[in-house]
Amino acid sequence: MAHKYAFPLALAALVCTAAWAAEPPARPDFTGIWTSYVPPGPRPPRTAGGGFRGPGATLPYTPEGKSRLEDYRKLLGPENANPAAYCVDYGMPSMMENAGGYPIEFIQKPDQLTIIYEVEGEMRRVYMGDRKIPPEKRIPTRQGYSVGHWEGSTLVAETTDLEDGIDQSSHPHGEDAKIVERFSLGTDEKGTKVLSYEMTLTDPAFYTEPVKTQKKWMPLVNGYIITYRCPDEFWLALLDARRAQLKAGKPADAKMSDVYKAYEAKE
Amino acid sequence: MKNLMRSGIFLAVLALGSAGAYAHHSAAQFDFTHQITIQGTVKSFHVTNPHTAAVIEVTDAKGTRDVEYEGHSASNFYRAGYTKDAVKFGDHVSILIAPRRDGKDGGFISAFTTASGQTIGFGGLSPSTGKAEEKAPGAATKP
Repeated sequence: MAHKYAFPLALAALVCTAAWAAEPPARPDFTGIWTSYVPPGPRPPRTAGGGFRGPGATLPYTPEGKSRLEDYRKLLGPENANPAAYCVDYGMPSMMENAGGYPIEFIQKPDQLTIIYEVEGEMRRVYMGDRKIPPEKRIPTRQGYSVGHWEGSTLVAETTDLEDGIDQSSHPHGEDAKIVERFSLGTDEKGTKVLSYEMTLTDPAFYTEPVKTQKKWMPLVNGYIITYRCPDEFWLALLDARRAQLKAGKPADAKMSDVYKAYEAKE
Repeated sequence: MKNLMRSGIFLAVLALGSAGAYAHHSAAQFDFTHQITIQGTVKSFHVTNPHTAAVIEVTDAKGTRDVEYEGHSASNFYRAGYTKDAVKFGDHVSILIAPRRDGKDGGFISAFTTASGQTIGFGGLSPSTGKAEEKAPGAATKP
């Protein structure tokens, strides 16, 4: 009775084997919550911020890049102001550094890799299929516009349409910068999953040659992203102003410009 | 009193773990090398992003007054062990702060002990648990 199925089963097995042989290399799934990789064994001394570069690293700035950076740094004042302290998202490539040790989430679908950094819920979409935003519709942003393709089991993402990134903590750049990233998955000697990352930033206005860096992530066990939002300060201030108007028996018609004026008066 | 002293010692130990916790706030602003413990009554305690803001009524040689302190992000507070309403209006708290370098009132919260005796410190996030862990002096964590 059983051998009645023997031939069809054998055929099916043969077809499957042939299909496997023709399959491209397995594409890894980067989906998960990740944190900066810590190798097994005694911890090496950490570098500031856990970012791409160690202290004292220098980059091959062009004279223009150097002078723009010097001008920008003059604006930072004695407190060395940091955009993240003002609820400005990090932008590329800094958001990939895990500045501050917050986790990062990857959500992978066949046609899109979505990357969410906890701080500000900062998000990138890497378009991998036929569905793309037409070039003339790509509004420049701090994260840019990313298109991905597979080279074997490595995902290569190319990012353009960036806003000026003079305030990027590790790799300041202009708006014509292009970023190429390579993502691949492996394991270390302890069997821990490791997501390896390489980044190359090309920006002839800022750098005399392409700038490269790399980092690694490991899964954050039982990890989750905590919603990170700043209070909507101006909106809340507007509501306060209107509350005060109502209390005074006046119509609640304060405008955002009134709120800004109040802020200016405070400073 | 004994409890307060004990918490002071604990906070001093935690201070070693948060020596670099100023990346959003440069070392020019707060002195993380000479941290002090203050005690007082909570007037407000907003655990929010990008930074927590607290107003504590303190009494010292200069008298009794409300002082504003800054702290880590809400994400870092909750990962470090903070839970909703763990600090409330009127609570008596003990806070380890990095004082302002200009000598004015205020500072950056490095660790604190709640009215119920829970101590929360900011020493970075453990990759395996996602919770706060002790770190070597000089290791950096951005608030």
